[in-house]
Amino acid sequence: MSSYPNPVRLNLSSMSFIDPLYAVFLTTGFAVGFGHCIGMCGPLVVSLSLNFKDKHFFIPHLLYNCGRIVTYSILGGVMGITGSFTLVASRIAGLQKGAMILAGILIIIMGLAMSGWIPLGKLFGDSYHPGGFVSKGFRRLSQVNSPAGYFPIGLLLGLLPCGPVYTALLAAAGVGMKAGDPFEAIIKGMGVMICFGLGTVPALFLVAKLADMGWLKKREVIYRIGAILMIAVGFYFVIKGIRY
Amino acid sequence: MKQLITTGSRQKKTGTTPAFKSAFSFLILIGILVFGGQISPHLVLAGDTMINCDAHKGVCSQSLGDTTVSLEISPRPVKAMQDLVFKVSIEGAAPTNHPHIDLGMPAMKMGPNQVALKPTGPGTYEGTGVIVRCPSGKRTWFADVIIPESGEVKFIFDVIY
Repeated sequence: MSSYPNPVRLNLSSMSFIDPLYAVFLTTGFAVGFGHCIGMCGPLVVSLSLNFKDKHFFIPHLLYNCGRIVTYSILGGVMGITGSFTLVASRIAGLQKGAMILAGILIIIMGLAMSGWIPLGKLFGDSYHPGGFVSKGFRRLSQVNSPAGYFPIGLLLGLLPCGPVYTALLAAAGVGMKAGDPFEAIIKGMGVMICFGLGTVPALFLVAKLADMGWLKKREVIYRIGAILMIAVGFYFVIKGIRY
Repeated sequence: MKQLITTGSRQKKTGTTPAFKSAFSFLILIGILVFGGQISPHLVLAGDTMINCDAHKGVCSQSLGDTTVSLEISPRPVKAMQDLVFKVSIEGAAPTNHPHIDLGMPAMKMGPNQVALKPTGPGTYEGTGVIVRCPSGKRTWFADVIIPESGEVKFIFDVIY
């Protein structure tokens, strides 16, 4: 921040917000989306899809991705204005660790709820209760029959530690450092991260669509096998988070 | 009971799909989605992960034609998520343009992470960069020193998370 000219004045006419880096990170997001993101966020996306048993996947996943991109853009703005990746990254490391553990717990809960072996009901989806008995508290939660809950989930999971996200944040800090004033730094930092986030969306939507196939969801046995896998992945996330 | 309807060269199956077939397909799908990405970073061709530089100990050198390219990363030991100084020295014919470094992982795409190098003396260059942490736990990174019009040299090394 100390590198900005003093006094800081916003000169919108001379500011160039169109940076080739946006296109670079849009394509980067697209490329890593089909490799890295499917591995990292795939389990979450599959969990979210399976949890919404009788509903269309589009709106919940749109909200999930919007939440994720909002978090990315905020982080990008912070990186841009500080111009220091390592400074911000060290501050948010604990938060990311927590997000990873929380994501794992969330997947475990959704897996348990989906299986019906434990009377948790469904937390974010329809009122499908395979186990029959649903406790009063969780019934209330399950009756929140809205996909809106997927937006805050996206906000939270946007904090998950991820190599390509770090690289994009590094670029956001870089453009911020070169920007003429703080406003430009924030906008450009956010721009890089929004482009990166948008690039990752097609891959995650594809995963959501695959997991949303009706023939998968309508078979009780394989639905429960999916629940077991979800619980296993949840534990994997929790262990990874603790070790991170 | 399956019934086969043949129309020209095309065959269409009608009737019920066996449950085990669906379950098998489902397991493959979920397995790929859920575990594939988690495991795939660890499945790398051996040739890609041949570590040729101990960056924690000091300078690493490689030949590129008639020149010798050396790389030194500091501070040591080389840790991820901290500012690092990359020093490159080229012995032999001086390049016409400044070299730069591409950082990445042999195991997976991490996005463009370049270190711009500035000349600090005859045939020596320096720049700062960050090696980010990969939550997969993989620690092997590469620094691809790209010398315009001459070629590139890849230094593969482990970092500390």
